Amino acid sequence: MKDERSMILLIGNPNVGKSVLFNRLTGGDAVVSNYPGTTVDYTKGTVLLDKKSYTVIDVPGAYSLEARDKAEEVCVKMLEANKNAIAVIVLDATRIERGLYIALETIERGLSAVVALNMIDSARDREISVDSSKLQKILGIPVVETSAVSGEGLKQLGDMIRKARPSNIKEIKERSEGKEIQPETGSKCPGCCGGCGGV
Amino acid sequence: MTVSLSCMEYGTQGVITEIKKYSRELNALGIRVGKIVKMVTKQPIKGPVVVMTGEVVVAIGIEMASCIQVNTDIDPAYIRDK
Repeated sequence: MKDERSMILLIGNPNVGKSVLFNRLTGGDAVVSNYPGTTVDYTKGTVLLDKKSYTVIDVPGAYSLEARDKAEEVCVKMLEANKNAIAVIVLDATRIERGLYIALETIERGLSAVVALNMIDSARDREISVDSSKLQKILGIPVVETSAVSGEGLKQLGDMIRKARPSNIKEIKERSEGKEIQPETGSKCPGCCGGCGGV
Repeated sequence: MTVSLSCMEYGTQGVITEIKKYSRELNALGIRVGKIVKMVTKQPIKGPVVVMTGEVVVAIGIEMASCIQVNTDIDPAYIRDK
């Protein structure tokens, strides 16, 4: 039987760097360009993390999971067909707010997820600071700062993919409103803020 | 003064007060009630309007844009805080 836990879906808005991340992770050659909508069909590859082989799928970019065009339809179908897959939600660090919509929709569907805060180098250049540990605390899933182009943060992303976990949308809402909820498990990792579940 | 987004003048800013239709589609693009939008350009012959919200430039069809109400009398302090 196919083990869906070994499936990784790269999800996010168009033009946030999913295909570059895909190429970096798998050594693949997905077509990359600097405008949105380059990927309209999915691309498959394989990555070896800690001696375990994962199938990585580069999903076409979507703004929401209520499909409005072909590319978004493919994205929704991929999510429905792989409900136990690990979702790597790719956000553009310079435009986080827009990406959070599909991020929350993905989390709402109950997928184990990890956020890749991509283009972090570009955000730094534009003097946009992102409090990734606070975002991790609010979302309750691991958040990793990455730059797929330079390769920054990819090692940590690989480690965190194994710590991907589902989160609860109601708790996210409460945390974003400032209500404190203690993480379910005790912290075992240094500097833990609950996002990785303390594993 | 409240105007529809499609009627905003070039370069003016406003706060979205109401989205009468297509709110789900627009929310996914970052266009929500309470957000500040700045008119960048309007294409002629009922073409799309291009607005800026935060760091994001969004092109919206004229029909969708006409469903968005914007208050152009905004306090500069509100923009600063945002």
